[in-house]
Amino acid sequence: MNAKQADKTVIKVDNLRREFKVAEAKEGILGSFLNLFSRKERIVKAVDGITFDIGIGEFVGYVGENGAGKSTTIKMLTGILTPTNGSVEVAGIIPYENRIENAFNIGVVFGQRTQLWWDLPARDSFDLLRAIYRLPQERYERNFRELTEALDLSKLLTVPVRKLSLGQRMRCDLAASMLHNPKILFLDEPTIGLDLIAKDAVRKFLKFINHTRDVTIILTTHDMEDIEALCERIIIIDEGTIAYDGSTEKLKQDHIHTKILEVEFHDYNPELENLPMLEVIKSEANKKWLRYNLDGTSMHDIISTLFRDYCVKDLSIHEPKVSDVIKAIYKNGGMERASVND
Amino acid sequence: MIEAKINGKAANTNRFDSVTNEERLHGFRNILALYINFAGKSFQQQLAYKFEYFIGVFNGLLFIFIFTSLWQAIFESSPVAGTTGFTLQKITAYAIFAMIIRISMTQDDVSTIAKIRSGAISMDMIKPMNYFTMLLAECLGQTLFHWATRVFPIFMVCLLAFEISIPSSPWLWTMFSVVWLLGYMLQFMLNFIFAMIAFWTVETFSFKLMKYGLFTIFSGGIIPIDFFPEWLMPFINILPFQYILYLPTSIIIGHISGDMAINMIAIQFCWVIGMGFMCWKMWTSGSRKLVVQGG
Repeated sequence: MNAKQADKTVIKVDNLRREFKVAEAKEGILGSFLNLFSRKERIVKAVDGITFDIGIGEFVGYVGENGAGKSTTIKMLTGILTPTNGSVEVAGIIPYENRIENAFNIGVVFGQRTQLWWDLPARDSFDLLRAIYRLPQERYERNFRELTEALDLSKLLTVPVRKLSLGQRMRCDLAASMLHNPKILFLDEPTIGLDLIAKDAVRKFLKFINHTRDVTIILTTHDMEDIEALCERIIIIDEGTIAYDGSTEKLKQDHIHTKILEVEFHDYNPELENLPMLEVIKSEANKKWLRYNLDGTSMHDIISTLFRDYCVKDLSIHEPKVSDVIKAIYKNGGMERASVND
Repeated sequence: MIEAKINGKAANTNRFDSVTNEERLHGFRNILALYINFAGKSFQQQLAYKFEYFIGVFNGLLFIFIFTSLWQAIFESSPVAGTTGFTLQKITAYAIFAMIIRISMTQDDVSTIAKIRSGAISMDMIKPMNYFTMLLAECLGQTLFHWATRVFPIFMVCLLAFEISIPSSPWLWTMFSVVWLLGYMLQFMLNFIFAMIAFWTVETFSFKLMKYGLFTIFSGGIIPIDFFPEWLMPFINILPFQYILYLPTSIIIGHISGDMAINMIAIQFCWVIGMGFMCWKMWTSGSRKLVVQGG
């Protein structure tokens, strides 16, 4: 969509590293006593040399397992954390050297925390944010109106934040993060714990602001449906290094060589001797789940053989999900490392 | 359809441009407005806990009655005043004012620690603001609330229940205001410094206990500094605690005045500068150590 702007880089990350010292505790009662006197420190490389550029208006999914280094990266981009090594630049500013100036350019939503004042109605929190971001009154009012409408907040604004449901609070938090027209929006698990309707509302809003305001969005999530619904680009991080960086579509094409057929037969469950290329994953009553390889026999042959030789009542084809791909990438990565260690 | 939406919005796309530095509100008035806003919101937040201030008034009065009765019993059984210059009337006034001033300086000393431990402090760090001054503004908002809901009612009850004389000299009140404000800053910064420890260790409870113990004894909140043995004085004098409660209380009851008062205010002021520097140092190095849970 924003092809003309895609060449304009807004985030530059170059060979970024962050190490943490972790005290290794000894086990047991005697161990914890000994911990008082000597502590072995181990260095954990949370982020181990990552490099990427993000253009204006991009919607990027930043994905990885727990402890892969996602949040550490986000914290370095927001200026909360100082890198051990390497460089970061966000909208021309080095975040950890100039946290406050950087803060004017970014909006942040952490799904598990809130930036609203707990005992105050959201409206009052917005008013405080207006003062913190030193927004001109007229600009604030316009943003406030638009966000209230887009997120359907009018009924929530006068309720103390602690009395809101998680989904309602998240909508208020999203509005709070966008009030000051940030260039970049960081979202850390914005849909965690939300029901389907609330998730949908969040996704719709994110699409909306990405399109209408050209906000660059970096989304961290464990919910692969978020990624499939929203992100054109995906960066996968595994054990502190980048395992994949490219379009979400291409990721699927490159890594998925199989599809699943779900077949329901009439009154019986036959052995499929005529179709040896299909691998039976599951068989239940008169239903079978079959995996087939896209590189082998054509779809046409499989389906026509099925309908010619067997009494098929119903049939559906399951597209692979991004989560399957990512699982495969983690697995392969793990295996490669294991072999190196041997 | 999406294309159409983009094109439709493109005509007035500049209204979504981020706010430039020139557009932002600058100047002293706007900064002040921000902090007043903080203090106001913090005041407003206190209203959520209505039951607390009734308990607060009750507790304050209870302690005042305990300490004044205690001093009365002590002074009646033996003349402990010695060279301290305290009479029964004066020590009663001291006990009352020390407690009221202590309540007037009550500050929230747990929220920063909790924020650091849970990692919620990161939500403050993503905003373009100074945590120290923001917290101070919030604290002042709470204090204003305490003045209205605790200090004032307790003071009124004490005026009726005890024979205490209120100084009328405006010079004394001015001096007291300055000393109270500096003492308040010391209290705030002491809490801040102890909270910063949470950046390095999770074991903050014992530090808090230590702070509480040192403060209770050496601030003169219960026993005036004058009653401590000679050998303890050098130790008390190198600590900042007496400048938080003992000094303002002694000034308002007329126990300390003249050159002695000026001297002590000068030292108090030095403490404010020194501890301010320490707060800044601890915040900058502490926030760098920040390890937020959750990968």
